[in-house]
Amino acid sequence: MRFRLSDRQVGVLFMLPLLLAVALFLVWPIVEAVRLSFVRYNPLRPDDQPFVGLDNYLFVLEDPLFWESFRQALVWTGVSTVAQAAIGVGLALLLHQPLRGINAFRGLLLFPYIVPTVVIALNWRWLFNAEIGIVNHLLLSAGIISERVAWLSTPDMAMASAILLNVWKYTPFVVIVVLARLQTIPTELYDAARVDGAGALRRFRDITLPQLAEVLAVVVVFRTIWTFNKFEEIYLLTRGGPGTSTYNLALYAFDQAMANLRMGVGAASGVIMLALLLAGSLLYIRLTGFGREDRAA
Amino acid sequence: MTDVAIRRLSKSFGANRVLKALDLTVPSRQFVTLLGPSGCGKTTLLRLIAGLEQPSEGEIRFGERRVDGLPPGERNIAMVFQSYALYPTMDVARNIGYGLEVRGTPKAERRERVGAVARVLEILHLLARKPRQLSGGQRQRVALGRAMVRKPDIFLMDEPLSNLDAKLRAAMRGELRRFHLDLGTTTIYVTHDQLEAMTMSDLVVVMNEGVVLQIGTPEEVYARPANLFVAGFIGTPPMNLVPARNEGGRVTVEGHPLPVAAPAGAPAELILGIRPQDVSMAAPGEPGTIPGKVWMVELIGSERLIEVEIAPKLRVTAQVRASHRAALDDAVAVRLDPAQIHLFDPASGRALARDAGRETGAPPA
Ligand SMILES: Nc1ncnc2c1ncn2[C@@H]1O[C@H](COP(=O)(O)OP(=O)(O)OP(=O)(O)O)[C@@H](O)[C@H]1O
Ligand SMILES: [Mg+2]
Repeated sequence: MRFRLSDRQVGVLFMLPLLLAVALFLVWPIVEAVRLSFVRYNPLRPDDQPFVGLDNYLFVLEDPLFWESFRQALVWTGVSTVAQAAIGVGLALLLHQPLRGINAFRGLLLFPYIVPTVVIALNWRWLFNAEIGIVNHLLLSAGIISERVAWLSTPDMAMASAILLNVWKYTPFVVIVVLARLQTIPTELYDAARVDGAGALRRFRDITLPQLAEVLAVVVVFRTIWTFNKFEEIYLLTRGGPGTSTYNLALYAFDQAMANLRMGVGAASGVIMLALLLAGSLLYIRLTGFGREDRAA
Repeated sequence: MTDVAIRRLSKSFGANRVLKALDLTVPSRQFVTLLGPSGCGKTTLLRLIAGLEQPSEGEIRFGERRVDGLPPGERNIAMVFQSYALYPTMDVARNIGYGLEVRGTPKAERRERVGAVARVLEILHLLARKPRQLSGGQRQRVALGRAMVRKPDIFLMDEPLSNLDAKLRAAMRGELRRFHLDLGTTTIYVTHDQLEAMTMSDLVVVMNEGVVLQIGTPEEVYARPANLFVAGFIGTPPMNLVPARNEGGRVTVEGHPLPVAAPAGAPAELILGIRPQDVSMAAPGEPGTIPGKVWMVELIGSERLIEVEIAPKLRVTAQVRASHRAALDDAVAVRLDPAQIHLFDPASGRALARDAGRETGAPPA
């Protein structure tokens, strides 16, 4: 007698590798983080992990550096995301124009998105170096600034530089998603609106924007989550400095866990981030009414 | 009251010359159909009239007003697109009223005018729906409503019925004609369906490869095609076109003399055209007929099409009563109604005038 699997069993079999990977690399770390957030864990004493209840959370919430990092994280995330969305939509509209050679630009656009962050961050540190960087050199010789700007060594400029890097690297993501959506809008709609007498601005407001709304909701949620969690760009560009002026929650958690050897506290701030993002995403999706249209149909 | 005058209008897309110095006058208040095969430039001409494309050369006037150069919004036209192009994120009421909204019409007046149009089109109950919640026929009405609400000088319609099923299309043909009679707005209607052109229009404009080949009433283009293209394009089943000769003023086909005189000055080589309805079956050997053998028999409802091969690869189709029987390879003959014979000059393709007291044919059933 031959051994036979039902369709259902075959289906499960096909899903198994993915399920295992998800369990191993996603579920388990999250469970482990939640567990760690309730114990005191010094990596130098792995055998000693006493349960401390909510102590780690209390520590975090009473730590002024946590709140500073939180405020900075809001600025970092908010400004980056809004700038990316606005510039991304603008660029997508430009690249949507049927001009000769536009495809070359569409291709080039992917460049920042493909280059590894380490390479970008190191390059940017050179470019923005106050003494020998080319940015200061160019601005000085063009007469736009009269003295060298300390791009990375004053708090405000360091945050601005980090945001600039993030916007530069991830705007292409927004452009690609928005451009894909733009290309699905039938051109006859614009013809109809022109016959109805609508000018370019009205056509954008009444036809383009409403159709981009759903995809923009998705883009903003994803960009918010990814930017809020971002660690390596800030760490590589400014190390969180000068001082702690470019800390966000990811750097704060890293700092507690690795530099101060308080794994429990690091895990607790990670869990807090998770909760914040979950709540924020749900709220945003509720507000923009994403997916509601389809259900109504 | 707006007539449309188009003078030497050309349009090229790159090296592709789509319209070639086209002349056309559309009289005020008429329903005019642009009819022609796919790719002949009908949509392009309509878009030029609408202002959605810029002409390469030539001019367009609405009445006294020269409009090429004006944006579409300033031409006071309305257009119905093949795909309807309803704004998907707006409800039906806003779709219809959008043109008024853009022009700053007050909300109360807008609502009233949208309501009036919706009542005429019987879509009042749909006003709150989004386009994707409508059937094809309902969408078509909304698109029509959007065009009607602004009281435009000219209606432009690009195959507005081609997305509907046959039954709905027949019903909408009647309605569109009815609306035109009620509103009396100059209408330019694009189609490649000759039934639509024949049943709805005051005037038919037959186009091919970017030029106008004939302008006339449906009766005229059917009964007196000006050239070979129109003769072959209009009418189903298509007109028989066979080579003929002018032998001393007498027309012969494959050496068989026909009771038809060639007009004065006709060339020696001719093309003879005759509709299958005007061909009847005869016994071989009867005078004035062309002998041959039955090549194919097709039943089309109450009628039967009999294709008779009168020479190798040369066939003439006769449309006869279904009761007429014929078997393949029977030896038969065809008789061509002399009054319904069209003669063309094969060099220019133009129809030769036949003055000998001919009657005009009837339009297709
Ligand atoms: N935007 C454009 N760019 C380049 N070529 C075009 C453009 N629009 C139309 N053409 C070309 O112009 C020719 C006429 O096109 P048009 O759409 O006017 O034909 P049509 O008569 O409306 O045909 P159909 O019955 O299939 O709709 C075609 O050869 C088409 O390829
Ligand atoms: Mg067309």
